[in-house]
Amino acid sequence: MAADLNELKGMIESALPGSTAEVIDETGTGDHLRAEVSAPQFEGRSRIDQHRLVKAAVRERFDDGTIHALTIKILD
Amino acid sequence: MADQELTDRVRELIAENQVLLFMKGTPSAPRCGFSMRTVQVLDSMGVEYGAIDVLPALQPLREVTSEISDWETFPQLYVNGELLGGCDIVEEMFDNGELAEALGVEQPAETEPAAPEAPASDEPYKSPPMSIEGS
Repeated sequence: MAADLNELKGMIESALPGSTAEVIDETGTGDHLRAEVSAPQFEGRSRIDQHRLVKAAVRERFDDGTIHALTIKILD
Repeated sequence: MADQELTDRVRELIAENQVLLFMKGTPSAPRCGFSMRTVQVLDSMGVEYGAIDVLPALQPLREVTSEISDWETFPQLYVNGELLGGCDIVEEMFDNGELAEALGVEQPAETEPAAPEAPASDEPYKSPPMSIEGS
């Protein structure tokens, strides 16, 4: 089941109000994705906490197996 | 719900080792590209670190780290009791110098200088990126 990139973008942006997210399919197979995110909520947090926020936003799609790998790039 | 005994053991290991890497395989024989890259970064920093191969108990360890660190993928690098990150965070922090700071060491030079004390050899010493060893 291929991930819906727009849905993931929406999940991140609604979980983190004011953020912008770009979700890219790195391998063309729909399950190894890359998210580039900037968000006001990242301010003052460690890298791992920033990643946790993004992962939490799309956790449902990890749990149902839609996504196997998500590379997160935080844009400062 | 993670196994309590295993959770306690993992907490102990994190507390006892200033630098601790949970990885797939071992530093000399990584079984996953992300673990291998993390090992390469750590080796270049010249720090001592403990390494735990998660493969023999992958699912139970996922449950444990999910509970104690809200993180379930490996590798995971812990420094001074805190989860620093996985491969991508470690590489990024290496590139911007934050890893050296967290580890309390000098950022290694851009190109690896030949160790002056090293005995002469035809090739500079490099740890093998991947090797199969008898157990």
